Amino acid sequence: MRTARERKGQFIIIAALLLSIMIIAISTVIYGTVTYYRQERWEEYVTIVDSIKTASCNLLQVGLANYTQTLNQSVLRDYFNLWMRDVRKAYPGFGVDLSYSLASGIRSAYGVNINYNLGLNRTWNQQVSFSASDATVNIDIASVGLTGYNFSSHVFLKMNIRDAKWYYKAAQASDRYVLIYVSVDKEGPEPVINLQKSNFVPVKLDGVPQPFSMKRYYESKTYGCFIYEIRINSVATQPTSAEVTLQDTRGIKSVSYTTDVLMSE
Amino acid sequence: MTKAKQAQNPRSSKGQMRVIEAVMASLIVVSAVAFLYAFAATPSSQPQETSELEKIGHNVLHDIDEQGLLTRFVYRSEWADMTSALVVSLPTNVYFNLTVYNVNGNPINHPLMQYGNQQIFDSSKAVASVSYIVPGYQTTYSPRVLVLKLVRG
Repeated sequence: MRTARERKGQFIIIAALLLSIMIIAISTVIYGTVTYYRQERWEEYVTIVDSIKTASCNLLQVGLANYTQTLNQSVLRDYFNLWMRDVRKAYPGFGVDLSYSLASGIRSAYGVNINYNLGLNRTWNQQVSFSASDATVNIDIASVGLTGYNFSSHVFLKMNIRDAKWYYKAAQASDRYVLIYVSVDKEGPEPVINLQKSNFVPVKLDGVPQPFSMKRYYESKTYGCFIYEIRINSVATQPTSAEVTLQDTRGIKSVSYTTDVLMSE
Repeated sequence: MTKAKQAQNPRSSKGQMRVIEAVMASLIVVSAVAFLYAFAATPSSQPQETSELEKIGHNVLHDIDEQGLLTRFVYRSEWADMTSALVVSLPTNVYFNLTVYNVNGNPINHPLMQYGNQQIFDSSKAVASVSYIVPGYQTTYSPRVLVLKLVRG
């Protein structure tokens, strides 16, 4: 009887010890869970991801601008390879790892078919001409366990010669002139409305660069869009072709060409 | 109580032991809780003020970049315009200091881009720091890291 009582007493002590161990163990887990959010620098991670995302999109612009001016087809791949290395350097200690894939093959966007090669395409010397780049970027941040965050980005510049008209009615040949109506769109699609005369150099008639003046306005009756009106004076005879070269504020170039110069009164 | 009496009443000693055991068990549990309490230091979260300033700083740089101005200011060395754009974009009671680095962490040579006295930055307890990277300008790849430090006046 005495022995049984002693055992019962020990049991309470042992139970209390076990209970204490359980409290400590469970508390440790709960503590770790509820304070995890506070220990991590979430704001910093979000800004880093956002900054890398924006910069990667800008890199596409830089790559496309370089390609349209130098026709170096591998420039975007080269830039992204450098970018992967430099992002790691720029954010040391975060374990930032970048990977990318450049668009390839025909894709349809903004009403045109774009045939990408190493993420780049230029379709020039047509009435509707465009330059485009497209890539998918993947961001991993090892220090926070972020993996597989990816986004697609594309840059696009389209120039459309809506009309090219030769006004021939003036008695004096020197008073005859040509008006070229051009609209410009970028990715979005979004009209580009901040271009200046210096962005449209050169403008050629029959392959010869011409002096010109430029107006810009919203044209609601015929085209229903923002128009750049290029005027070339002293055009005595009807030109057979008109060519407009555009370089936007990002440095991206496009060349439109038409053989459809209409006679107009 | 004499031994003779205890022998007569064994329940009395059993009761005392129970009380002692209960007290010991309670002490063990209380010690465990006290142990936890002593070691469970609440981690200090980032001060609200710094976090808020970081958001403001990042948003302002992002907005200037979206307008296509940031790269122009940085790569064409239009530092005065850069400073003016930040002064206009940030709230009036927020002071800043901007430094531009290359990707290896070496500062680019540029004049001081600061709004507010140096004393404000030295004395402030909450200085927010925002890093913003730009890859290049026009056709040229040449990454720059902008470090914007912000304090509230």
